[in-house]
Amino acid sequence: MAPNTETKNNFLEMTRIRKSFAGLTALQDVSLSVPKGEVVCIIGPSGCGKSTLLRTANWLTPADAGEVRLNGEIVGAMPDPRSKSMQARSLNALRARIGMVFQQFNVWPHLSVLENVVCPQMVVAKRGRDIAEKKALAALAIVGLDEKKTDWPDNLSGGQKQRLAIARVLAMDPVLMLLDEPTSALDPELVSGVLTVLKQLAEKGMTMIIVTHELGFARSVANRVVFMEEGQIIEEGSPDVILRTPSTKRLEVFLEKLNLTALKPKTNGASHRVMKSD
Amino acid sequence: MKFDLSYTLDALPRLLDGSLVTLKLALFGFAFSVVLATIVTVARTVSKSRIFDTIVAVYISFIRGTPLLVQIFLVYYVLPIIGLNIGAVTAGIVALTLNSAAFVIEILRGGLASVSKGQFEAGRSLGLSNVALWLKVILPQTFMASIPPLVNEFTQLLKSTALLSTITVVELMRVSQQIYSNNYHPVEVLAGAFAMYFLMCFTISRSASWLEATFEIKRA
Amino acid sequence: MSIDLSIFTSYAPQFFLGFWMTIRIVIGAIILGMPFGLVLALCQRSRFRLLRILAVSYIEIFRNTPFIIQVFIFFYVLPFYGLHLPATYVGTVALAAFGSAYFAEVIRGGINAVAKGQLESARATGMSDWEAMRYVVLPQTLPIILPAMTNQTLSLVKESAILSTITVGELTMAAITVQGETFRPFEAFIMIALMYWALNETIAIIMRRVERKVSNRSNSGRANGIARADPAVKDG
Repeated sequence: MAPNTETKNNFLEMTRIRKSFAGLTALQDVSLSVPKGEVVCIIGPSGCGKSTLLRTANWLTPADAGEVRLNGEIVGAMPDPRSKSMQARSLNALRARIGMVFQQFNVWPHLSVLENVVCPQMVVAKRGRDIAEKKALAALAIVGLDEKKTDWPDNLSGGQKQRLAIARVLAMDPVLMLLDEPTSALDPELVSGVLTVLKQLAEKGMTMIIVTHELGFARSVANRVVFMEEGQIIEEGSPDVILRTPSTKRLEVFLEKLNLTALKPKTNGASHRVMKSD
Repeated sequence: MKFDLSYTLDALPRLLDGSLVTLKLALFGFAFSVVLATIVTVARTVSKSRIFDTIVAVYISFIRGTPLLVQIFLVYYVLPIIGLNIGAVTAGIVALTLNSAAFVIEILRGGLASVSKGQFEAGRSLGLSNVALWLKVILPQTFMASIPPLVNEFTQLLKSTALLSTITVVELMRVSQQIYSNNYHPVEVLAGAFAMYFLMCFTISRSASWLEATFEIKRA
Repeated sequence: MSIDLSIFTSYAPQFFLGFWMTIRIVIGAIILGMPFGLVLALCQRSRFRLLRILAVSYIEIFRNTPFIIQVFIFFYVLPFYGLHLPATYVGTVALAAFGSAYFAEVIRGGINAVAKGQLESARATGMSDWEAMRYVVLPQTLPIILPAMTNQTLSLVKESAILSTITVGELTMAAITVQGETFRPFEAFIMIALMYWALNETIAIIMRRVERKVSNRSNSGRANGIARADPAVKDG
């Protein structure tokens, strides 16, 4: 088994994350390092722990063991040497710089489109209303929703809601974006709208971790694809290599299930590493 | 202020007697209430009389829209005028029954709604008489579906018995008042009664979940 | 038996004074009790175990004992702590304390009904628990809890009658006084029964209208045929 000896100076460091739910292990000693500017796509069958891993990155789901650091600062750790109030304050401050986009959008229906994007800026980033609105309009323009600024979330399509969620994240000037199956709840014809926005963000250099089923998107946007199964990272590497020539049987089976033909499995390539071999 | 626990402990035996009266009142009231509510519910469902429905609706609206204390006073003070001299305890139970029945009717309505229509048809096609159909098939299911709200209603009734102290019924509340009007330590005595009410209600509502579990097993 | 309807007219001022007192007491109990109920509901979700235990204990104690005994305990206990309040204030405080336990349960139900994702997405932006509650979750509970809150208010109106036992001059006390003077309990108690009934029905009708307006606003455009057929809403 190849040892994990990446430098510890990566932008996002997730070290030996372990998590169980009601006796079932969701994550087994998973480690993930993400350098600044990289786009990582996590793929895998349902129940493999990819969403859990993503939610541990901003400690929305606290891990049972392990630690997560953003630029050296602890986002969450178990055990945590700091005081409870220190932990809470630090976590909220870091979350303000990490943006999360959910599968179910989670836009706030009691606020207008503009207010959705203004609210966290004023409450968390403590910006004044003028600045907050200016940045909100800019973010809405990026995702193509500036026309809808006085509209209500319930009047938006699924794709528009997701783009609103992205705008809400962007207005906070995040240094890292976490996206949990951002297009899985969308009707097929609405998916491309969201993916276009995400691609633009990636091209502008945003550090992103995306849990997704959209392998075509992964191939065109990701710097790295991580394949997980049963709470562990099985394979990771550049999308071209890993998706066309999987080294492990398990990945091959997974890709076949998604109707992608894989070439003969073989180990090769410097940008390719196998975590667990079958 | 000094809270002298000895007054509480001294009062305990009489308070316990009072609790027993409270429980008896609650049980009688609940039993009558459930019987009355069941009769009304069955009658309502079987007869298609609009007038009957309206009468029941007005009755429920009145009970739910007016304070129980006022209902108790009405029964206690008014019945003798009509010529019915029935005494405080009976008047109290009558008032509690009439009050609780209104709520139980609504509870049973919900429970009945959850019994599938098919039960009626199956029973009838088996040749069951109306009486047998209701007694053996519909009502048991209605009640089983209504256990949590019925238990809640019973606790409500138990708490309501305390109001009968205002018409001289000697239950737990009135016993407390009698005791502290003699020893001038209302806080200690009331604390004892308070604890007893709490224990009774708390135990009953906790055993509700046990009851449900038991009936689940019976069905399986 | 004869019914003397003149009671309604000759004692009308007494009844209406009592009625007005009932209204003021209930309003006072709501002003004190609802915010405290919110505090209790939030404490139940606190990460501090002591707060959780205190909140749950308070709620269980006030919900598992009769209001009348709570009233008497407040009545006798407060003077010992130096608080010599007139009976009306004691009664209002007792009603507020009682009501807050039930309000807390209603609010708790409302919070649980708001989808978990709302709280999560708010926390994910960096909001603290309280900020997430205040700006995202609690505003969404309002239309949900309105019916139950109305029911609780109606219940408080009815429980206020019990304050007559500590001689608070509300509506039931007025009837007791009138029947003491006229020896006509039926007329007196029927009179106040009708007044309570009218008050509760009025509150219920007003609140039903408020509920409809509130749910219309929060449902604007939500999954009705018009919105779906709108071609402008087609793009991704």
